[in-house]
Amino acid sequence: MGDPRDEAFALAEVAIALIAEAGASDADATVTIADRFACEARDDEVTKLERSRGRGLHVRAFVGNRRSTLSTSDLSREGIAELAKRVVAAAAFVGEDSHAGLPDAVDSDGVCDHDLFTVSPDVAERADEDKIDEALAMERAIREADVRIANSDGSRVRDALVSWALVNTRGFRGVTQGSQVSRAAAPVALDGESKRIGHYGTAARGWENAESAEAVALHAVHRALALVGARKPATMRVPVIFERDAAAAVLDDLFAALSAANVAIGNSWLADRAGERVGNERVTIVDDGRLRGGLGTSPFDGEGVPTRETVAIRNGMLETYLSDTYWGRRLGMASTGNASGGGVGANNLYLVPGTGTLDDLVSTTERGVLVLDTIGFATEYASGVYSRGARGIYIEDGAPRYAVDEFTIASTFEEMLRNVDGIAGDLRFDGTIVSPSFRVAEMTVSGT
Amino acid sequence: MLTGLDPALLTRVLSRALRRGGDFADVFFENRLTQTFRLQDGQIREASSTVLRGAGVRVVLGQRAGYAYSDDLDEAALFRAAEAASLIARDGREHDVAVELASASAPALYEAHADEPADSARYVDLLARADVAARAFDPRVVSVNAFVTDELQYVQIASSDGRVVTDRRPLVALGVQVVARDGAQRENGYLGDGGRTSIDVYDVKTPESIARESARIATTKLGAREAPAGEMPVVIGAGGGGVLLHEAVGHGLEADFNRKGTSLYSGRVGERVASDLVTIYDDGDLPGERGTVAVDDEGTPGQHKVLVENGILRGYMQDRLNARLMGVASTGSGRRESFRVLPQPRMCNTYMPAGESTAEEIVASIERGLYATSFSGGQVEISKGDFVFMIAEGYLIEGGKITAPVRGATLVGNGPDAMTKVTMVGSDGRLANRSYTCGKGGQRVPVGVGIPTVKLASCTVGGTGRG
Repeated sequence: MGDPRDEAFALAEVAIALIAEAGASDADATVTIADRFACEARDDEVTKLERSRGRGLHVRAFVGNRRSTLSTSDLSREGIAELAKRVVAAAAFVGEDSHAGLPDAVDSDGVCDHDLFTVSPDVAERADEDKIDEALAMERAIREADVRIANSDGSRVRDALVSWALVNTRGFRGVTQGSQVSRAAAPVALDGESKRIGHYGTAARGWENAESAEAVALHAVHRALALVGARKPATMRVPVIFERDAAAAVLDDLFAALSAANVAIGNSWLADRAGERVGNERVTIVDDGRLRGGLGTSPFDGEGVPTRETVAIRNGMLETYLSDTYWGRRLGMASTGNASGGGVGANNLYLVPGTGTLDDLVSTTERGVLVLDTIGFATEYASGVYSRGARGIYIEDGAPRYAVDEFTIASTFEEMLRNVDGIAGDLRFDGTIVSPSFRVAEMTVSGT
Repeated sequence: MLTGLDPALLTRVLSRALRRGGDFADVFFENRLTQTFRLQDGQIREASSTVLRGAGVRVVLGQRAGYAYSDDLDEAALFRAAEAASLIARDGREHDVAVELASASAPALYEAHADEPADSARYVDLLARADVAARAFDPRVVSVNAFVTDELQYVQIASSDGRVVTDRRPLVALGVQVVARDGAQRENGYLGDGGRTSIDVYDVKTPESIARESARIATTKLGAREAPAGEMPVVIGAGGGGVLLHEAVGHGLEADFNRKGTSLYSGRVGERVASDLVTIYDDGDLPGERGTVAVDDEGTPGQHKVLVENGILRGYMQDRLNARLMGVASTGSGRRESFRVLPQPRMCNTYMPAGESTAEEIVASIERGLYATSFSGGQVEISKGDFVFMIAEGYLIEGGKITAPVRGATLVGNGPDAMTKVTMVGSDGRLANRSYTCGKGGQRVPVGVGIPTVKLASCTVGGTGRG
């Protein structure tokens, strides 16, 4: 097999030609070729071993301003040609949409020339045997860490090299590549009759920058043990501290509300609020598509618009939504380089960190809850109501007292952003949506 | 159009997969065409067609599984996949393995579906009707999004124990999301329906009825109070309330967690795990339901399973790998999202049969509590069984009567604990609308849920209200 970038590019060219032949007036084609490896160990045995090259083609076709799309894993010429005909025929049933279409012409020369450190050479160089040994070592590390660790759901080590090419009928020609590695562990601690599973994982562009296997194993053990003996807290209104990963889950929901695709249809509490205050001065939320080595970094977005750094909320003021070309046109704004998978996606979205540590937030909290983990997901983007199940640690007099679970935390997103009264400096770019730990001055904790 | 791989080729691929050893190997081939139309603000905005075609080769040895897939279906590519999968069983020896395949057919459990999608005009008409009905329902409806999707998945599963089984699975869904607005307040409502059938189903389950129900949910919430906070009795509504069983109990009874001993239900078959009013089934063989599989993704027929009977745990949901290790038979629960991933033990249609109380009696028994008509989602943590449900539509119960609607409520609790607190079960048991999708380990599969009206004597409601 040759360079997957060349293969992706050649297939995208073929697809564009076939879709034009079928009658599309404009189109873009994205071909992704991913080489993935994954292994899992449990106890002293390798339990899963996966290695594959997966390919996919995604085409957006425009017949005038009627939009139709195709996705396929059948990359044979006949397969693409047949689907192209089907897609162009279906476009006749789509309504006229004056906002639909390719981005205004982008000069693709030079777009891919900046090295954004999306490929780490140590990914291709590392032998599978070495990764398998590492997964086994993580299993040993979690067993040896504490006598209360009685079981494991398995330790996983994975990597991927993803090549993708984007070609459109207006002359855009782009091809790029990204590597990714991840490590995850899931030890189980005994808690009387019950069990506590601790999940922790990390991801990076390369092995060199990733959190070590041992650190991941120990962090997962810490999470399993932190909740041993947890009880249900009283119902109360108190400060709530979101530890890094729980904080990132809040940012995840904020991204949905910032997405022009939700804003344009009124399915966001931030709709019609551009230029207004939606949080206090501490809150600045940035999406940076060009962050060096970021997991969401790419020279151009899913439709060939160069990526950039965008401040969505600056010191509490809503400056802009995050958008692709289509939803931007609907809202009368330019694309922010956030086209992804046919919709709007985050590149590297984060809450700008403060200073200090998570411990500082805890020690300055008289009575409250440190949330280590939330469960549940958002469905209420329109109303902005926030309510999640949570697990964590009850705090009194600035010190952790005991573990708590089976409770919810509730507020609205806007009250939360207005009540953020402390942000730690512990931001890590180990995902595409990340956050430092932060504290909200008051939320409803529902327990007994 | 829908044909599988040549059985002679499958035989060679399976032999190759097992040449380093292994208890068994299988090849999963699929060819799936999905046609979708989306409507927004009264216009059809997008048509999309998706083809998922490829094959995965698996080698199983004890608790080990090696896996590789290919979207290229020629012999050389499939041999490469077999080679990669075989590495899991590397024991230094070269085996000559003879495989013979005999064809088996899947039972007929789906309603008729043509090989090709229907005329595009039919999908467009369904969406236009939904849009008109949602807007006509209430002037406060400000946005309507709807989709209709029609899928036909052809699968062929060949196993080294000699079976090659094919199945042809239709799946349709139509969903309507409504945003209603009153001043600065916005609320949404959602309803979907469908099943393993053709779009003819919408002649009966009309798009108008789905759209009106979605608009009703959104506009009801416009007048809603903040949800209360704290512990109180909770009534779970018939149908969609079945998400409770899926999350609070179902996942904990999947065989992988129990074979590994990570589930709180591990090793507890025969023990009391719920109040004696609680019986839970998981059926893969209900005709036309969304979670039905005539055969699962390992070629085992879908079947009726008793998970919990009158409060006693009866058994787990098994796929082939876990069933072998636990010394039982597969229950036809081996499912996967696509050819790109390994199968896992999964639920099909999980439900509780009807009990004896009427819904009115159940509500009347509560002085102050919450009535959760339906959930918009839920999640469970397996080792201890803590769950969360987001309530899509809920009401206060005051003085034995349903009073005001509430918004923004969640339920949080512990699965086994909640099951001991089931004190009344309604006579109105039914499956919910066919619109649920379950996620596990990053894989999404269609499922069904169902439940009669059920009373939980106590559960924590997570709202912001102080009342």
